Amino acid sequence: MFGLIGHSTSFNDARKKAMDLGYNHIAEGDLDVWCSAPPQLVEHVKIVSAIGKTIEGAYIDSCFVPEMLSRFKTARRKVLNAMELAQKKGISITALGGFTSIIFENFNLLQNKQVRNTTLDWAKFTTGNTHTAWVICRQLELNAPKLGIDLKKAKVAVVGATGDIGSAVCRWLSNRTGVEELFLVARQKQPLQELQQTLQGGQILSLEEALPKSDAVIWVASLPKKLEIDKSLLRDPCLMIDGGYPKNLDSKFGGSGIHVLKGGIVEFFTDIGWNMMEIAEMDIPQRQMFACFAEAMLLEFEDCHTNFSWGRNNITLEKMDFIGEASLRHGFSVLGLQPNIEVSIA
Amino acid sequence: MPTLESTEVAGTIKTDSLPDFTSAEYKDAYSRINAIVIEGEKEAFDNYNSIGKLIPEKAEELKKLAIMEMKHMKGFTACGKNLGVKADMEFAKEFFSPLHGNFHKAFEEGNITTCFLIQAILIEAFAISAYHVYIKVADPFARKITENVVKDEYLHLNYGQEWLKANLSHCKDELMKANKQNLPLIKSMLDQVADDAHSLDMDKEELMEEFMIAYQDSLMEIGLDSREIARMAMAAII
Repeated sequence: MFGLIGHSTSFNDARKKAMDLGYNHIAEGDLDVWCSAPPQLVEHVKIVSAIGKTIEGAYIDSCFVPEMLSRFKTARRKVLNAMELAQKKGISITALGGFTSIIFENFNLLQNKQVRNTTLDWAKFTTGNTHTAWVICRQLELNAPKLGIDLKKAKVAVVGATGDIGSAVCRWLSNRTGVEELFLVARQKQPLQELQQTLQGGQILSLEEALPKSDAVIWVASLPKKLEIDKSLLRDPCLMIDGGYPKNLDSKFGGSGIHVLKGGIVEFFTDIGWNMMEIAEMDIPQRQMFACFAEAMLLEFEDCHTNFSWGRNNITLEKMDFIGEASLRHGFSVLGLQPNIEVSIA
Repeated sequence: MPTLESTEVAGTIKTDSLPDFTSAEYKDAYSRINAIVIEGEKEAFDNYNSIGKLIPEKAEELKKLAIMEMKHMKGFTACGKNLGVKADMEFAKEFFSPLHGNFHKAFEEGNITTCFLIQAILIEAFAISAYHVYIKVADPFARKITENVVKDEYLHLNYGQEWLKANLSHCKDELMKANKQNLPLIKSMLDQVADDAHSLDMDKEELMEEFMIAYQDSLMEIGLDSREIARMAMAAII
């Protein structure tokens, strides 16, 4: 069985969803009640892949909401308790969705292996980052040409280049896609230089320098709150892939010439009888989901019960190949630009 | 998706450190918390023996549980002595009196369901949750004792669960009714000790969450579905 650990995108959404599901005791509670609410296994689902393989899975809501991010202890408990529940329910491989893996990494939860009487087995969890990185790369490769961008002659910036997903994307773009110029953007200099060395290429630029020069920008860091960009300085066309969480790029960059694509999202070939993707605000919640969630499904489809994506900078091109091939074989496709955009370009 | 601005997250991350077990504030709070734990174990000893009278064929097994509770009581008494703290037993008796009263009323009416709900579900879940939180911030002597106690308490929780599970078809309504009366008492008990627990570095929020996890788990084990459990848990916030 595969598992997905997710959460609502805001406190208000969480209350509404809880009310719909009949969890009135927490739906009516204030944020303090939610801080004390246990994780809930809210849905079981059965999925048949494009090649006829059947798997079962469960969705666990950690009862975390982004409003809890400033409460370190609360956020830590929400993640660990949801992971404990997944393990107690006998789930073989569980993806950490949304803020779950971010909290896990930023708060260094590796040192919290013991949760009550359960010893967490890290092999049963995946961040899903390998699939996310592969999906983002494929989104670039498939959608840039639709806007008339020839990647072989294009300048591509990766914002958040030194992160787990960012560095994997850079490796893929250097070795597989072959873009003309790769701009590496991140906050810290030292890891940037190390990345540049391992890539044996790429140019380190600040965000302000990189944006006006780029035909495509891959965002795998959240948008700095105070960022002010003069849109008239950006290239036309410019493809922006929003691989961060939460996805808020279109509020800043939407407009003619700038095409924002939700990054790291996949679509299954047929409807899945679940309700929970509605809380992740997918356009087609019966089919679309975060690529990290899909990774847990793929690992279950492939009987690959291991922490496939774990730790930092362990994503190899071979792993991306493996998960990418599995993704296509079992019926996932990457989210593309709206068809009307392609028409207007053609 | 490691894509968060690190500055957005909680500012500085505090490393967990232990409280000063020798401070006057700690000892003062400990005198009440320690008393509650001792009294709680004594109540459990009495309650399991009482339930044994209502189910004579199980009396021997229940007596064994009661003896374990007595052992725990002695262990926790030693924890107080180790820190040079005199437990405030008068406070603890008063603290337990509403729940104690409800248990005795149910016992006199021969209401096994209510007795099990109060002792084996609510009190045990309350104890397990508090012990889990306490273990992380306890002095080394108390931590060792508490870790061993927790292992036993899971057995006790199990015992009550098994009986309620086997009898669920005819005791469900009674279980719901008893829950409605007694779960709010647990909530107010938690509120009463929140300040003292804070002095021992135990968060009220975490205590409540741990309790809800243990409570939810045991109701699930008994055979209630998540909507029924949600309805029962509602009593905690009204």
